[in-house]
Formats: sequence, structure tokens, C-alpha cells
Amino acid sequence: MQDLETLKSVELFSGLEADELQKIAALLEERNYAPDEIIVKQGSPRDKLYIITEGLVEVSVEKPSGDGQHSVVKLGKGQTVGEMSLVDQGSRSATVRAISDPTKVLAVNQQVFSELCNQDARIGYIVMKNIAADLSFRLRQRHLSDWRE
Amino acid sequence: MPTYKVSIVIPGSNNPGAIINMDERPLPGQQIRLEKEDFLIVEVQELLPPRNDFHFLHVTCRPAQAAG
Repeated sequence: MQDLETLKSVELFSGLEADELQKIAALLEERNYAPDEIIVKQGSPRDKLYIITEGLVEVSVEKPSGDGQHSVVKLGKGQTVGEMSLVDQGSRSATVRAISDPTKVLAVNQQVFSELCNQDARIGYIVMKNIAADLSFRLRQRHLSDWRE
Repeated sequence: MPTYKVSIVIPGSNNPGAIINMDERPLPGQQIRLEKEDFLIVEVQELLPPRNDFHFLHVTCRPAQAAG
């Protein structure tokens, strides 16, 4: 089971009590990725939600021309991958690739996590509110980085 | 213990920037490493009001070798 202090430093779980974090910790599994290893591929079906605990990943999308990938952002410790499809049930919106050595994540099956959120309304409400806040933060980050080129 | 969720942008760079959690508040003049590159922090702004133990910051950087 995961260290609760680690989970407390993840915004997705901000506001949850220790007993609620323990329910989530029981669902998580640790995974390690080598540099350049693909964690999720754009267009693939949703399956897991990932929480980065160490290292960096690169989020990229296919260029409209079909000619390669466009790097969107890099995500580090405490960030989540796969939360969009947890909300909208869609396929993967981007490819996520490990770029550091090591890259460590916690993975949770999305269906199992959704069931916990449905069974425990307080967990579900707080997690969904945190997902909305995270998407808002990323949108603001995107707006501020648009003028970099 | 506070956690600083930090949005990092590097104007004029092809680097797309990053979002990372930090244990300490970043400060202008400090260097930050992303992957294999070092960047100099030029400006730190509060992006959103703090919530629970989280602070939300926006950091503007430039490549450290161009810092002069």
C-alpha cells in the first residue's frame, strides 16, 4: 500500500481524509518506465489513471498534417495522466512518454477508481472537483505558454 | 507541509514548458532543471489562490546558458 504522505502531495486527492486516502492507496500499483517508453498512446482506449511520483513525462499530440508529434507540455511529480478520459469516457487525447530515468508512476484502473467514486460520494465529489481544478490550471498554463514561439 | 504546483514557461524557446510539484517555493534567480536542461527563474507569479496545502504558481524562465 502507498505511503499516505505521497498521496497527500497529489492535488487530485487534496481535501480527502486519511481513511479515504487509504481506500485509494489500496487500488494503486507502482510502475517504472525507461526513457522514451510510451505510457499511453493517443487514440488508444482508456484503461488507467497515472500519477507521476518521480521524473518527467512528455505529453504530445499528432500534428494535423500527420507528420510527427507536437510536444504540448512536460509533467512532473504530483501530476496526473488520464484524468480527462475518467471524466469524458473518451479515448486518449495525447501520447505520454517517459523522458527521465527513472520515471515512476502510480497506476489505478479507471473503472475500479470510478466505482469507488460512485460508491463513496464524498471521495467522488472531491476527486472530480480536483480534476476540474487541474484541467483549469493546465488551460491557464497553456494560455501563458502560447506566446513562447 | 505546503506543496507548490508550478507552471513553468520558457518564452522564445521550443521547450513546451512543464507543470511540476515542488516542496519549496521557487524564487527568481534560482536555477531549475527540466530533463537535461538548466533554466534560470526570471519571474514568479501566483496563478491561483492557495487551496488546502497547495499553492499555485506560474514561473517564467530562460535558458541558464543565456542568462549572462
